[in-house]
Amino acid sequence: MSAGVVIIGMGNPLLSDDGVGIAVARAVAQRLRGRMNLTVTELHTGGFRLMEAMAGFQRAVVVDAMLSGATPGTLQRFDPKGFVTTKNTFSSHDTDFATAYDLGRMAGVPLPEQVSFWGIEAREFDLFGERFSDEVSAAVPGAVNLIVAEIIQWEAPA
Amino acid sequence: MPRITIDPITRLEGHGRIDIFLNDQGKVENAYFQIPELRGFEQFCVGRMAEEMPVITNRICGVCPEAHHLAASKALDGVFGAEPTPAAKKLRELLYTAFFVTDHTTHFYALGGPDFIVGPDAPPSERNILGVARKVGVEVAGEVFACRKRNHEIITFLGGKSIHPVAGVPGGWSRAISAAERDQIQDTARKNIEFARFSLSLFERIVLKNPLYLDMITSDTYLHRTYSMGTVDAHDQANFYDGMIRVLDPEGNEFVRYHPSQYREHIAERVEAWTYLKYPYLKKVGWKGLTDGIESGIYTSTPLSRLNVSEGMATPLANAEFQRMYESFGRKKITEARYQPIHHRMATHWARLIELLYASERMLELALDPEISSPETRNIPDPSRFVGEGIGSVEAPRGTLTHHYVTDERGVLTKVNMIVGTTNNYAAMSMSIKRAAEKLITSNAPEEAILNKVEMAFRLYDPCFSCATHFLPGKMPLTVALRDSQGVPLREMRRKG
Repeated sequence: MSAGVVIIGMGNPLLSDDGVGIAVARAVAQRLRGRMNLTVTELHTGGFRLMEAMAGFQRAVVVDAMLSGATPGTLQRFDPKGFVTTKNTFSSHDTDFATAYDLGRMAGVPLPEQVSFWGIEAREFDLFGERFSDEVSAAVPGAVNLIVAEIIQWEAPA
Repeated sequence: MPRITIDPITRLEGHGRIDIFLNDQGKVENAYFQIPELRGFEQFCVGRMAEEMPVITNRICGVCPEAHHLAASKALDGVFGAEPTPAAKKLRELLYTAFFVTDHTTHFYALGGPDFIVGPDAPPSERNILGVARKVGVEVAGEVFACRKRNHEIITFLGGKSIHPVAGVPGGWSRAISAAERDQIQDTARKNIEFARFSLSLFERIVLKNPLYLDMITSDTYLHRTYSMGTVDAHDQANFYDGMIRVLDPEGNEFVRYHPSQYREHIAERVEAWTYLKYPYLKKVGWKGLTDGIESGIYTSTPLSRLNVSEGMATPLANAEFQRMYESFGRKKITEARYQPIHHRMATHWARLIELLYASERMLELALDPEISSPETRNIPDPSRFVGEGIGSVEAPRGTLTHHYVTDERGVLTKVNMIVGTTNNYAAMSMSIKRAAEKLITSNAPEEAILNKVEMAFRLYDPCFSCATHFLPGKMPLTVALRDSQGVPLREMRRKG
């Protein structure tokens, strides 16, 4: 297994708040550039694609827009165990992430030891546009800080 | 009136929804298949430079970015009056074969296959690819991942970027391939051929040799006699990247053949009050409602319809499988290489695997072509040949995909229209759902397995609504009205938006 962390931004940058995961992933990568072996990836669909995107890394962070009914801008962290789905971790032409992850394990795909999911509640997600709603914009810096802190903690020498 | 709702449709993106209405005897009175829309894609594009389209449209959908990228690139060839070089056309088609291999593989093993391999009556928790792996062996799952991985690698270096290709430009392709890359593609194609043959043998062993499944495939529950559409090459054989659109009537006679740029003369779109997605139909036959037969302009654009219109397959192994499928269904040869069409919709799964084999063989052919590593990958557009309008068409795995752009004299988009793969089949899917519901549901409280068999009626089309729903004009009202055949509203529902 190759060392290193992958940060995966999920979503569609053309669909308003749906692009927030990608924006956060890029901002995290920007902050940590040069400090560690960090790869940033952009993905639109979950399931196999997501499982495949984290294959070969030691640790993975996934950031996605979320539609849980919470107030727009709400940030939540999930462990894969407690994980149901966020907006883009399910696809019509793929399977859900939990199935893909289990299957990857069964098939011997080298998957990370640590995975965390971060969801940011979206407000506008079915309107074409390249701007976030105010609530979601306001949530970005906090999400970036928390994710940067998590990755630094992971990578800190024991 | 009792109503059964399947919502959300398992394994189907977004907001698709089926409503089935029963009468007091528990018989199906009607079934509606509704698709709400996403708003404003056309407006989003208008005012941008046309050359942005290959990298914008490939983000509409995470499922087939390659199809949108190529249709957009072809439309730009038209806008800029720049014919791609022969090597560029081959590189585009090569990328496309790799994409078809991954897409059809995923459908068979993760989406369509579990119904057969695990069983249509199995509980939903087992009826997925994990169940497939348990049934046929975990090493098969490993093969599926290996297949996706080796083809994604090729798509990445051919397309210039992972997932969302960027190499398509007006007049060609922005990147040539090296000898080492060509060798890697050849090796991948050979592995793909073996994997496709294995998948066909698995289908034969598990599906065709099981009398219950064979019964299901050949029963009239999943039967509709519609027109068939597909893109054909100069030999009237199926091609995914380029050619003429050929349409056959339900008997197998050629109804029309046209260049994709003439789509507006042949395809019209029917608006129905109770759904936001329009129903495309053959303009010269006419709209007769959701009904099949030679008088109804409803057509399909699927792996099965593409094979129906094809004079055999252009590659040898796929052609042998093609013959086997048509002969198994007792179809007679109409021409030297083509058979009477198959209308049993479940055969679409079989046709998809034949296309998987064809795409693999075609990939090897292209990779062995000496021209594939030519550095001549682009004709630079000549401003004096600028046209300002272009129509690009490819076969997406789930149907013919058409992009149509109009620009002003500066190349700024003034009009964008698209007919996406899944949309072609909306009328056919709606009919198939209704037919399956009528045949299978006999009580007010059908079992999950029965409802799953209704879902199988549209799953076989491999629908993807993440882009089908993007192309509707205007704002989306917040209510959806369901109506009966007389137009009387049955129910209104609200959705968040």
